[in-house]
Amino acid sequence: MRISALIIALSFTLSAFAQDYDFGDVSKEELQEKFNPSDSSASATYLYKNRRTYFDYIKGLGFELKTEIHERIKIYNKDGFDYATKQLNLYKNGNTKESISPIKAFTYNLENGKIVEEKLTKKGMFNSETNKYFNKVKFTMPNIKPGSVIEYKYQITSPFWSNIDELVFQHDIPIKKLESNIEIPEYFNFRINTKGYLTVNPTTDSKTEYIRFVNKTRNQGSGYSASSTTTFNTSEVSYSTKISKYEIENVPALKNEPYVNSINNYRSSIKYELSYTKFPYSQIEYYTTTWEDVVETIFKSSNFGDELDRTGYYEDDIDNIVSSISDPERRMSLIFDFVKSKVKWNGYYGKYTDDGVKKSFKEGVGNVAEINLMLTSMLRYAGLKAHPVLVSTRGHGISLFPTREGYNYVVTYVKLPDGNVVLLDATNKYSVPNVLPLRALNWQGRVIAEHGSSELIDLYPSVASKNTITMMAKLDSEGGVEGMIRSVKTNHKALDFRERYVEANKEEFLEKLENKYNGLEVSDYAVKNDVDLSKPVMESYNFFKENQADIIGDKIYFSPLFFLRTAENPFKLEKREFPVDFGYPSSTTYRVIVTIPEGYKMESMPEPSAMALPDNLGEFKYNISGKGNSIQLIISTKINSSIITPLYYDALKEYFNKFIEKEAEQIVLTKA
Amino acid sequence: MHKTNLAYILLLLFSIQVLAQESLYTSLTIPSKLRGNANAVVRYNHVQIALNSSYEMSVLQKRVVTILNKEGDDAINAVVHYDNNVKIKNLEVKVYNNFGTQINKFKKNDFKDVSAVDGGTLYSDSRVKYLEYTAVDYPYSVEFISETVSNNTAFIQPFMPIDDYFLSIERSTYQINYPTEITLRTLERNFDNYELIKEEASGVLKYKVKNINAFKPEKYAPAFFDLAPKVLLASNQFTLEGVQAKVENWNDFGKWMYHDLIKDTHDLPESTIAMIQELVKDETNDIEKAKKIYKYVQDKTRYISVQVGIGGWKPFNASDVDKLGYGDCKGLTNYTMALLNAVGVKSNYCVVWRYTQGRSIEKDFTSMQGNHVFLNIPTENNEDIWLECTSQKLPFGFIANSTDDRDVLVITTDGGEIKHTKKYNPEESIQTINGKYSISNDGNLQAQVIVGSKGIQYDDKYWLETETERDLDKHYKKRWRYVNSMSIESMDIQNDKQDIQFIEQVSFNATNYSKVIGDRMLLTVNALNRSTHVPDRYRNRNYPLKVSRGFVDIDEVEIELPSDYKVESMPKNIAIENKFGHYKTEIEKIDENKLLYKREFKVNDGEFPKEDYEKFRSFYKTVSRQDNAKIALIKK
Repeated sequence: MRISALIIALSFTLSAFAQDYDFGDVSKEELQEKFNPSDSSASATYLYKNRRTYFDYIKGLGFELKTEIHERIKIYNKDGFDYATKQLNLYKNGNTKESISPIKAFTYNLENGKIVEEKLTKKGMFNSETNKYFNKVKFTMPNIKPGSVIEYKYQITSPFWSNIDELVFQHDIPIKKLESNIEIPEYFNFRINTKGYLTVNPTTDSKTEYIRFVNKTRNQGSGYSASSTTTFNTSEVSYSTKISKYEIENVPALKNEPYVNSINNYRSSIKYELSYTKFPYSQIEYYTTTWEDVVETIFKSSNFGDELDRTGYYEDDIDNIVSSISDPERRMSLIFDFVKSKVKWNGYYGKYTDDGVKKSFKEGVGNVAEINLMLTSMLRYAGLKAHPVLVSTRGHGISLFPTREGYNYVVTYVKLPDGNVVLLDATNKYSVPNVLPLRALNWQGRVIAEHGSSELIDLYPSVASKNTITMMAKLDSEGGVEGMIRSVKTNHKALDFRERYVEANKEEFLEKLENKYNGLEVSDYAVKNDVDLSKPVMESYNFFKENQADIIGDKIYFSPLFFLRTAENPFKLEKREFPVDFGYPSSTTYRVIVTIPEGYKMESMPEPSAMALPDNLGEFKYNISGKGNSIQLIISTKINSSIITPLYYDALKEYFNKFIEKEAEQIVLTKA
Repeated sequence: MHKTNLAYILLLLFSIQVLAQESLYTSLTIPSKLRGNANAVVRYNHVQIALNSSYEMSVLQKRVVTILNKEGDDAINAVVHYDNNVKIKNLEVKVYNNFGTQINKFKKNDFKDVSAVDGGTLYSDSRVKYLEYTAVDYPYSVEFISETVSNNTAFIQPFMPIDDYFLSIERSTYQINYPTEITLRTLERNFDNYELIKEEASGVLKYKVKNINAFKPEKYAPAFFDLAPKVLLASNQFTLEGVQAKVENWNDFGKWMYHDLIKDTHDLPESTIAMIQELVKDETNDIEKAKKIYKYVQDKTRYISVQVGIGGWKPFNASDVDKLGYGDCKGLTNYTMALLNAVGVKSNYCVVWRYTQGRSIEKDFTSMQGNHVFLNIPTENNEDIWLECTSQKLPFGFIANSTDDRDVLVITTDGGEIKHTKKYNPEESIQTINGKYSISNDGNLQAQVIVGSKGIQYDDKYWLETETERDLDKHYKKRWRYVNSMSIESMDIQNDKQDIQFIEQVSFNATNYSKVIGDRMLLTVNALNRSTHVPDRYRNRNYPLKVSRGFVDIDEVEIELPSDYKVESMPKNIAIENKFGHYKTEIEKIDENKLLYKREFKVNDGEFPKEDYEKFRSFYKTVSRQDNAKIALIKK
């Protein structure tokens, strides 16, 4: 009895595992499946994703990187049709380029209970040149219907063996089974960087491979023998190849959420980065292994370190600027302003210079590295302790492991004699010391010191950006409000305002302001310190707005923040997987004085109250008092951390709900 | 002596001209009235076209534009599209600082060269060269010169002095030379406020216009293409990707398209013909047959855009679509047409401008127009049926919000004719809400609602059918965003494609919906369909008011009041009627604790003078205010 149960169990397991992933062996069950049992909302699913990346020795050319792809995708409904089109980018640099083998691909459908296959033909394949660096190959599968299964395989050959494509374990649709083999000859040493919430540990194995050299030797005949002979001898070099095999099943889809800096930060993947090569009879050539190596490699690059050392092109200008100034902080800000006004950012990121600092300086245009390396160099020249800081932008993700490619941006670090540390980015006209543009605010950067050592630095600002709003409002007995608003903004809030205001068409700016509040009528609009970055920016205006109170019977009801109150909770999802990233800590304060209409008196007003997020992440205070015909209200809200982990999501959502409710609470007036 | 004088005069004239030209390289010479709203000013633009024959045309353009601020950078517009039939002969850009000194120069090779495939297209052979330039200082001026030669003469660059918002024009000129055996047709539009100077001689046509102030976008206004001054031009003989044509009117044009581009593509395999005949064999009328075939096409195909050579204009063969199961708008329309043909249902291929803001084919101007193709089925005694063949989801005959209410070119076997597509009247675009909600003694809300949507309002919602539960949950929280701390209890969606009606059943609750203030509670009556939209306010409205599509909302909601409270005061019933629509609300008392709230809101489509804009705004403002009306409840 027991035995047969075991046999049944065994055979069941066997049949469950008997799924066939050989190319072409698509099953009826796969075609019949109506939805993904583990995620019924999925429009498509990778039934199988296989990748093999290995090195191939080609005589006369050396090693080439080959990547074989085999994928099988189930399409459940029309929203999944996009997965029937595949796009591949092939890199090229001059005459060296990646190439693709013929694509073998089929669509499978179930028609009257029979599996019908349709081959992808030339009609469905397209090659085009995207730009100087990329060719694009696209193909789209024939006969796609809800229920179709598609399967394709191809191989990409790449001469750029230092660059193994990222191994991605998570996509916008689920994966049922993924297998990847990465096979690396002993001559290459790659560092493995993993990212995301899934851990995939490879099993490893090794094999021996051979390179056969055929040597041709020609012996010239001599003496009596006039004939010559040619002998061939074959020599063989063997090397061991390490195979890392990754296997994972049932990977859920990755879904985007608001206030996430970059969804790619959370996508599970593995990146192979070359750290050194050691070919027979050759020196070890290092790429990277430790942070020191990364820093050294970047630093030694002619597009980085050397650029810091160039000084000739600016010496006269800097001498002129700082000659009469001895205060280091003053010197710093003068040079910072000089670079901002002298060189305009061309919109390109990069940790390496493109045209070089000298040319950028001359032409007044540069990429991020040109501008901020130039700045660093000038600051050093003026006697300041300045270093470049490698940064990964918000869109680029986070580098947790030593890697050159993890960084795509550079800013400037200054340590003043009083010990204060300042971060600078001269690519933004309105950026001030320690207020980096939002794009550069992404966890930590790496400061590169002169002697090549490096340390991490927190990029998120520690000082809160403030917005202090003062409103004097006079409510009339029809429910209209008129008055004056003044708002003072600092740091990132000021940066954001200046970016929107300074270069805008002023009439359009005002119309936007008015329509942000559903047609507020604004007059006497004025801005102070819009271009004086050393001071907080201040805007003020008079306003009128109708229908700001409910008049019911002989009573008037209104919320004392009127149109300024927060109307909508930005957090709508029931559950959240990823941290909420606000970019910077902030605080907003409202000081409101309301004069009530003549002939009315206060009947009731909301209670003062306060609440806080756990662990001092944020707080909300509401204070109100009334006297005679005047009401005084002070509301302050603070978010003290740039990042709030999902652990606090429910608390954060509830916090927003509560303060929105509180801001909506009403004052009641009755006829005196 | 005489000679010297002449030389002197010539020299003088020459230098005056040089001076005139150079004075354009600084913002200081911009007439002040052109600066309002402008981020850039086109100082001078000349387009010179040589239509050498019906199969060769060259275009020379020289433009000087002064960029006033960062927002104006796009007006450099140093962009040229090309493909196998268009060759770029010359490209040149010079940049001047505000002193008029040249600070930079770019040649053809400095331009970026990329594929012009957009997101919606899988493949196209068209490419684009463009200049990427970072401004060092504002203002600055850019001179752009381009020269192209093309074998396509079906599209003659129109004289369109202004091509974007926030861009003023100081001077714009246009000249076309053409062989006398060719006839040119022209259509001048929207020049009422400008002085268009036209010079015509044998084989030459010239246009000139000066001083056009920048346009600034406004909501509820006619689209840019209906406002901007332009002269359209077309030749009666032209070549399109090697295919020649001679047309005088829409009828000729339709004949040419039918015979040269469409007719030979209806090559369905016999097996498919037999299958499709079998599919509809039980249907007796053409419409039912067409419905079955439309569904068949929707199930079988998907939209993939591929545009190569004449394939940009000529549909894929029906046999290809039949085999591959995909095609672009031309291919899918043509395939549907071939299938209908196979069962004896007559249908016509149609060319249309597919913009949400209705754009008509210029009916008085025969030329290549439109950017999309769809299908027309004429019916006896009834309105024509229009089929969008690129959608796998739309109901049969449904074209709201995409190709409705506009002139289109219908191509029949006998030639072309202009027809007007279906217009969705406000009454057809109706949303009905049947709901009930109750308020607890703590002010919590519990609501159940059934929303039915038709016409334009069907189009606003039908895509919800395939949303995931998570996204749908978010969607409803957004739709009822004025209800704070809302939680959805159930959602159920029915997409009735037969009657083209979308039905949603949602129930939800929310804490503290109405707030207790002392002994009172204030309850905003309209909990389920509050209009919060107020059209933007403009300090100076420039354009007429245009409401492209109207709609009607009808709500009936039963309200159960909290048991410990009674009504202290109720909002008055409202009835407003004006040319923009109407708004009515009524509250009936059913019993002690139950009210019935009725609301009707209708907005008419139409075009009104700009003076009406403020009244229209105020109508919306009133609706928004009344939708916020509150009942005061007091403790029993």
